[in-house]
Amino acid sequence: MRVLDRCVAAAVSGAAVLVLPLAFLLFVQWPLREVVQAGSRQANDLGQVLFALYAAVAVTAATRGKVHLAADLVAHRYSPRWRGILTRASALLIAAPASAYTLYAAGPLTWQSILQLERFPETFNPGYFLVRVAAFVLAALVLAQALLDAFAPRQAPRP
Amino acid sequence: METGGLWMLAAVGLAMLATGLPAWIVLVGVSLAFTAGGIAAGALDASLFAAIPGRIVGLLENDLLQALPLYVLMGVLINRTPLADTLFRAARAALRSTGRAVPLAGIALAVLLAPMSGSVGASVAMLSRTLHPRLAAEGMAEERNVALVCVASTLGVVVPPSLVLILLGDAMMRAHTEASHTGAFAGRILNTQDVFHAALVPAAVFLLLCIAITAWQSRRTPREERATPPARVEWITAIAAAALIVGLLAGVALGYLYAVEAAAAGGLALAIHALATGALRGGVLGTVLRETLALSGSLFALLVAATVFTLVQRAFGTDRWLAGVFASTGSAAAALGTGLATIALCALVLDAFEMIFVVVPLVAPALLARVPDAPWVAVLVLLILQASFVIPPFGYAVMMARSRIGSAVGTRALARALLPFVAAQLAVLALVAAFPAMLWRDPAPAATDAPAKGDEDALRRMLEQRDEEQAPEK
Repeated sequence: MRVLDRCVAAAVSGAAVLVLPLAFLLFVQWPLREVVQAGSRQANDLGQVLFALYAAVAVTAATRGKVHLAADLVAHRYSPRWRGILTRASALLIAAPASAYTLYAAGPLTWQSILQLERFPETFNPGYFLVRVAAFVLAALVLAQALLDAFAPRQAPRP
Repeated sequence: METGGLWMLAAVGLAMLATGLPAWIVLVGVSLAFTAGGIAAGALDASLFAAIPGRIVGLLENDLLQALPLYVLMGVLINRTPLADTLFRAARAALRSTGRAVPLAGIALAVLLAPMSGSVGASVAMLSRTLHPRLAAEGMAEERNVALVCVASTLGVVVPPSLVLILLGDAMMRAHTEASHTGAFAGRILNTQDVFHAALVPAAVFLLLCIAITAWQSRRTPREERATPPARVEWITAIAAAALIVGLLAGVALGYLYAVEAAAAGGLALAIHALATGALRGGVLGTVLRETLALSGSLFALLVAATVFTLVQRAFGTDRWLAGVFASTGSAAAALGTGLATIALCALVLDAFEMIFVVVPLVAPALLARVPDAPWVAVLVLLILQASFVIPPFGYAVMMARSRIGSAVGTRALARALLPFVAAQLAVLALVAAFPAMLWRDPAPAATDAPAKGDEDALRRMLEQRDEEQAPEK
């Protein structure tokens, strides 16, 4: 579990910085399109790949940071123990099976995409397979975090 | 079984309140439970979830959603740098002659920064830090203080290109596309730019009403203390920031910039300013990046869960049932009233993002098949969402402000303080409902009525289209 936790933490730390190149790529589309009149589609597609990878990790980062939107109006009165049980049960009965099924369903399509090094359908730029890989990564990280929350829950927010 | 989707909505509301679990987990959990029940009852096919990976890929390759982390980045940077304070001090100094400089400067700050920070949560955090303590120091009653923070935080919702407006524009565009398959109207499909334009006039009217209410409410506030005037460098920073923000907003509103590009420009400009002024030293940059990732994830998780939830709702045929209800409603006005009332009821328990991702995709296509004036419907939905933020005790801005400020102000007192603002929101809503011509529209109409097709025929086409879309990806 400790190794799994470290792996997920490393993915979260590594992905956090992607928002800066993403902002740059999406901004630079405008001068590339209006002034240079070239390269904006490439910048857009590269931005798409970065966004997909960023979003894939972000869901688990939100779980680890405990910042998901929730209505705490009644539940804030529950004891920490009861809330811990609810969190553990939801990880085991909801997040884990849903993400495991998504991995199972996405697996063949993702593998095919990797083997073909699938390109973006509109621009034919390379790298579209990374968007499919990102969907797989999203489900894998949710599953890993669900297992961590179910079997090794912690009280304090993690980085 | 066709009403299964409505029971799912009720179950989500109850489970969210009862468990306090994250909304996305509740949405997925309710979807799993109802799918299991549907399969057991023979109403659903077990292969239903095979469509989920394709739907997630669809979210990851959505151009518009790229703006999401950029807006969050701007919100986090504004909260972690002194820019909001500088703008506030400059606005306060500029408005000193009014005698109500602090509350009006708060509104000015909200109007400038809320569309850039994108989310109501980020605006509440910013205004709780910059505006609330200053209003308290001026002697404003606590309930009015919290009410002003709540209302000012929602101004960004209607001022383009806010995150809520972008996401609603996208949801309405999808709904309009779906409704267009019915053949109930002819003309081009609504785009996010149409929604931005249409929202401008109602936003301006509501802003003016807010300024008038705030000025009137502040008439008995004790005299303001003399604050130290901003230094020259602060004036320059404030004017440059205001010019950049107004320029970006105008660029998007007039169609020179895509919303994503404007968000990227704003995020980069803020990051460069923060780096240049040393505001990101000492580990602040790392904190900003981690917060941005986590907050973006909270919104993206909701999107993923909503796409699972709406898939199951449609598998039950709730969209068919709802479309039938709207088609059998006597007049278009009655259909509009029913649709908006449904959205308003849901908005009392769900926040704007949940509404946009879960309720709008279910209700809007059927509604637009009967009322094809999509920009008008979008603005009415937007105004209802904005009002839902400030209706206590569940309003998202109300819950966030109370939690951020840690104020002990009672729900009844806060409701009284919010009443004039809610009344102003309802007045704008009624005005827009009564006078659709007041909206700014593009010369080419988004869609026009085409009564050539009967309602029943239109309904049949919509259902056929949805059946095709529901088929799992091969």
